[in-house]
Amino acid sequence: MRKYLVAYSISLQETLQRRSTLIMDRLGGFAVVLSLYSFWSALLGDKPSFLGYTRDEMISYVLVINVLRALVFTGRGWQLVGEISNGKISSYLVRPISYHAYALSLDLAQKSVHVVSAFFEVALLAAFIRGGLYLPGHLSTWLLFALSAILASLIFFFMEFIVSSLAFWTSESGGPLFCFELFLQFAAGAFFPLDVLPEFARRLLSATPFPYLVFFPARIFLEKVSTGEAARVLAIEAAWLAVFLAGALYIWRAGVSSYAAEGG
Amino acid sequence: MMELARKYFRIWVRTASMAMQAQLTYRLGSFGFLAGKMIRLLFFFAFVVAIFKNVKEVAGYNLVETALFFLTFNVVDMSAQILFRGVYGARRIVSEGDFDFYLIQPCDPLFRMVFSTVDFLDIVTLVPVLVMVGMVFARLPPLGWTRYAAYAALVANGVALVYSIHVLVTGVAVRTQELENAIWIYRDVMFMGKFPVDVYAPAVRWALTFGVPIAVMTSFPSKALLGVLSPAWAAYAVGLNAALLALSARFWRGSVAAYTSSSS
Repeated sequence: MRKYLVAYSISLQETLQRRSTLIMDRLGGFAVVLSLYSFWSALLGDKPSFLGYTRDEMISYVLVINVLRALVFTGRGWQLVGEISNGKISSYLVRPISYHAYALSLDLAQKSVHVVSAFFEVALLAAFIRGGLYLPGHLSTWLLFALSAILASLIFFFMEFIVSSLAFWTSESGGPLFCFELFLQFAAGAFFPLDVLPEFARRLLSATPFPYLVFFPARIFLEKVSTGEAARVLAIEAAWLAVFLAGALYIWRAGVSSYAAEGG
Repeated sequence: MMELARKYFRIWVRTASMAMQAQLTYRLGSFGFLAGKMIRLLFFFAFVVAIFKNVKEVAGYNLVETALFFLTFNVVDMSAQILFRGVYGARRIVSEGDFDFYLIQPCDPLFRMVFSTVDFLDIVTLVPVLVMVGMVFARLPPLGWTRYAAYAALVANGVALVYSIHVLVTGVAVRTQELENAIWIYRDVMFMGKFPVDVYAPAVRWALTFGVPIAVMTSFPSKALLGVLSPAWAAYAVGLNAALLALSARFWRGSVAAYTSSSS
């Protein structure tokens, strides 16, 4: 465990050391949030609600997804693709570490910094926006939201790991990973609440793990689901996590056994 | 002059052909990137259409007009991606020392840096966008040819503005061997051009018109077509373009003059 804490600590220092990269990264994310906030603000105008969301709830949804994007969508997929393609992965395979745990440590360090930044951005935007924000009144909601967001983050980590592992078999895995990440962000509700979609599309997406990454955690935060329903969401998230964890481990074993250490 | 233009056209065709062959060689990767670009386009378009099933106007624009803004953003953005893709490899060219060779070849190094790569995947993505622009034109009330001419001229003006920004970024790469941050912050901020500039608060609108002129690149053409852009603003767009072209050319020359070869 200690070695993973050291990896976490070193990665945290590295992330904080590259301040300009971090600031630019966050500035880019802030531009997206500002765009979405402005769009929803203009759309709502003086309307009391839209698709069952009050103005405060819709604006809060936009701000919450900024935090969720920072927590969920900062994976290690592109690094894994690069390390397999250039052979750097070989040096990890001979070390007495679990690559998954090591990658998770690095990922957690990155997420820690990005989530703290996201909170600052949300606070900054909240200070300037017109009208109020919706904040959950019950402590249990905060806990359920936090748990749901952590599970979502782990689901994404292992899901992305599976897609990135394609690099064991092809040097062209960047394309599928790019496609997967873009599709995922839309299907997860990271740009807009999935309530805007037609009923059949919503039902279809609900049968997939994608809405459990952003849409359902955001709905828990906005107290749009009862406690019982929130527990059901958490149970489904846990089930998806088990599926993707098992899948990632299986694909990793298969990938390593076919790995030819190109360029290593 | 014509001889010079023919020479540069021949160079462009040769480098474009090499880029196309590379993309055709990596079929799975290219397919993934293409599918991702299509998903991004279609999901956003579906989002706009779904929104307008529930509201009549956003910031005073109806569905057809909002679609026009969104599609025009895509025309400007994709045209720039197709033509100026070479900029994304500028840092590597400088840091690996290839730029030294560019300087001694009988071809303008800026031309090689900016135009040497053509993204054919964006050409494929641009086709459905242009078809959709045609469909939007068909749904607009009859407009005079001068409006369409102003639209086309301001789209070209927008692409030229993007060119200037890319030249500035390339100059930064030559001076500092850093690029990723500058180009990605530009990509992220460009996200704000997906919506009409009128959805933003006055301060943001001002910044998008006079600071980072995304509104001039993406919103002005549609506004001119809809007849809500005054001639003074159109003149401002052209003047800004001329000023930025001159500024970026000067910055580029200064960057090359300060270049001392970074790796060889």
